[in-house]
Amino acid sequence: MFHTVINRTIVGAAVVLLTASAMPSNAQESQALSIGMAAVVTSLDPHEDSNSPNNATSRHIFDSLIDRGGSAENNPQLATSWEIVDDTHWRFHLREGVTFHDGSSFDSEDVVASLLRARDKESQSFASYTRNIADVTADGPYTVTVETTVPDPMILNSLSRIRIISSEYEGASVADFENGTAAIGTGPFRFVSYTPGDRLELDRNEEYFAGPSEWSHVTIRMVPDNGGRLASLLAGDLDLIESLPAEGIDRVEQSDTMKIIRGQSTRLVYLGMDVMRDQTPFIKTKEGHSLDSNPLKDMRVRKALLMAINREAIVDRVMRKNGTVAHQFVADGFLGHSKKVEEISYDPEGARHLLAEAGYPDGFAMTIHGPSGRYVNDSEVLQAVGQMFSRIGIATTVEVLPWSVYSGKYANGEYSLYLASWGVNTGEVSNPALATVAGRNSETGTGRYNGGGVDVQEINEFLSKATQTLDESAREPLLQKVSDLVFNNNWLIPLHYENMVMGAHEDIEYKPRGDKYTLSYEVHRTSH
Amino acid sequence: MLTALIRRAIQAIFVILAMTVIVFIGINVIGNPVDILINPDLNQAERARVVEHLGLDLPLWQQYLHFLQGLLHGDFGDSFVYNRPALGVIMERFPATLELALSAMFIAIVVGLPLGLYAGLYPERLSSRLIMSGSILGFSLPTFWVGLMFILLFAVQLGWLPSNGRGETVGFLGAGWSFLTRDGLAHLFLPALNLALFKTSLVLRLTRAGVQEVLPQDFIKFARAKGLQEHRVVLVHLMKNLMIPVVTILGLEFGSLIAFSVVTESIFGWPGMGKLIIDSINLLDRPVIVAYLMMMVVLFVMLNFIIDIAYTLLDPRVRLDGGN
Repeated sequence: MFHTVINRTIVGAAVVLLTASAMPSNAQESQALSIGMAAVVTSLDPHEDSNSPNNATSRHIFDSLIDRGGSAENNPQLATSWEIVDDTHWRFHLREGVTFHDGSSFDSEDVVASLLRARDKESQSFASYTRNIADVTADGPYTVTVETTVPDPMILNSLSRIRIISSEYEGASVADFENGTAAIGTGPFRFVSYTPGDRLELDRNEEYFAGPSEWSHVTIRMVPDNGGRLASLLAGDLDLIESLPAEGIDRVEQSDTMKIIRGQSTRLVYLGMDVMRDQTPFIKTKEGHSLDSNPLKDMRVRKALLMAINREAIVDRVMRKNGTVAHQFVADGFLGHSKKVEEISYDPEGARHLLAEAGYPDGFAMTIHGPSGRYVNDSEVLQAVGQMFSRIGIATTVEVLPWSVYSGKYANGEYSLYLASWGVNTGEVSNPALATVAGRNSETGTGRYNGGGVDVQEINEFLSKATQTLDESAREPLLQKVSDLVFNNNWLIPLHYENMVMGAHEDIEYKPRGDKYTLSYEVHRTSH
Repeated sequence: MLTALIRRAIQAIFVILAMTVIVFIGINVIGNPVDILINPDLNQAERARVVEHLGLDLPLWQQYLHFLQGLLHGDFGDSFVYNRPALGVIMERFPATLELALSAMFIAIVVGLPLGLYAGLYPERLSSRLIMSGSILGFSLPTFWVGLMFILLFAVQLGWLPSNGRGETVGFLGAGWSFLTRDGLAHLFLPALNLALFKTSLVLRLTRAGVQEVLPQDFIKFARAKGLQEHRVVLVHLMKNLMIPVVTILGLEFGSLIAFSVVTESIFGWPGMGKLIIDSINLLDRPVIVAYLMMMVVLFVMLNFIIDIAYTLLDPRVRLDGGN
């Protein structure tokens, strides 16, 4: 841990002397970076378990055919260019002269092996990206054809998720990756050591095709404990931490040696409502009798609920500015964002009016459900929402449950009104819409998290058309239409996008990514 | 001795069986691991494939039988989360926890025992009273708060010690240990001290109470009357008699140090088992939970056994086989 000692001494000295300019100017050669992740990596095998911490970590060691930019754009990486042969065939031209960390050269065999390995893994964790891959064939050493089972407009996004390993390690086990033998990629960093649940040590790949990183050594620490992560940043043990806890914001803001880096994520937090059943289990009259009808089926009631919520206040106070008010699935700039979605603002008077119009002048009693500890301040957000509903005459009881109990129940539609969230990891509308508002269909897998039972033919049709349209310019209006239909009919109540709040030392430059990955290659140190 | 050992082993097996049944049923009641573990984007067929791969498609009693079958072959099953043998996942974190617990225990004994002896032998002195008041703090301050204060003071303000992590480890007996390197020791010190605070106070108070109980007894007076030197009276005759309750408590507390050091481990980012088990419960990672609890049962049974042996050494009247 020589490097961390050096690093700490340097940063520690800077803190004590309050002179960040005391940094050695010739440090270009041996720059070390320590990152504090807020979650724990579960596997170093890049095809075993798909989740953000794993995929962010694997991008340090491995590359993909396509590089996904911070705003979900598709850039060349190991593939330099690609073309659509026909509806179900894509041809990729590979980068020549790339070598793996062990010196062996990269070619089409590695691509074939990696894509098929990810598809056929028992854990099926990458299935949402690989399910449409019918076959992958090498047309030459640097050309690969990917055949899809159906026309798949998301294939580039999917391929950006699948890391390319050396074909030599096609049959390697999870353990082989974690002890380093198989953790050999073409990425900007090479594996040094890994302690599960603690840290991953990486060295710079001097041969990286896009130019070596400015960090000669990177330590990725997994520090899920908020207090511990903050303390490590304050003490100078870490240069950059994910999810700066709210209690540390003031401290970091006032410090001369540290700063806060903010960015908007694509995670939408929303409320879902039971719009399927004629009587919904958690809405009663205030006297506790059951109602003849389900008020949530009435669009006026749903709109009144949205108008009752002061989302600015929630973002400002409850989320402590770690969120941005949301009006639809994705923010401006992402595919499928629609200008035609009406932005509804806080209006408790209007909400009461609408309720009366819908036949509930005295409101009703409702129990709303949500998880605790799953999303940023989730139970506090739900409490605030409950109080706001009570203010327009809906006597609201809030019930929060641990995620392990909650997750299955809300997806199966057991609640009347529930807090949920979707990280839009494709950066476009079809991904959240298919899961949360498309009609439930166990064969196609749509509507798995449609806990409210939304089933609107128009939405389903636009979505199915969009999922078969390869041309992005033709796809966009279809997805925009989906956004219009969902949010102008209030099928979901959007609350906010979670913001990313990172803590960093003053001289660290980083632009947070929509997918929340922290990538060392994109971290820079400002020169003095 | 051997019969006693066998009897304990049989008891342990029954406890373990009962515990595994409870865990299997308990987790089934909490929720379905599949809902938590599976990538939300999967469709029905893919989901079914994973469920089958994890063996969760079978009825619960069949899953349990499979588990028992595996157990007979020394296989605890693969972790749902890490996709590796559950025992391996636990064992790679075990040295870290063991090291932390042993260090804390060491501090507790080295500090607590002499201070307790002193406070017991000279109860009227001002220093004794200070020690006793200090021990109340050790009892009553919450671990997580003290831990954070340690970090703030020693790591953030003074910058003497690292705030977090395990530091450099050296391979020894097939595992990595921190206490063998300087960097590792620096990392180990704060969490060990944090964990030891409560135990130190406990040992201190037990020792003092023991001293005051034993001191007025006839055999001590006799030993003094015989003209034995004071240090022999204290270190042999007094110590031997007051050690029995101390050893009992230390043994049990050592078990709880290993099993429940999760607060300290989280605050100091110590990659031990405590954090693992909490995460596993949240993710319903049944193989890890079961394997962990089985280890703990074995550990506690063994500790009790070791305590019993210690009794026979300390007090010749105690026999393990019930006096036969």
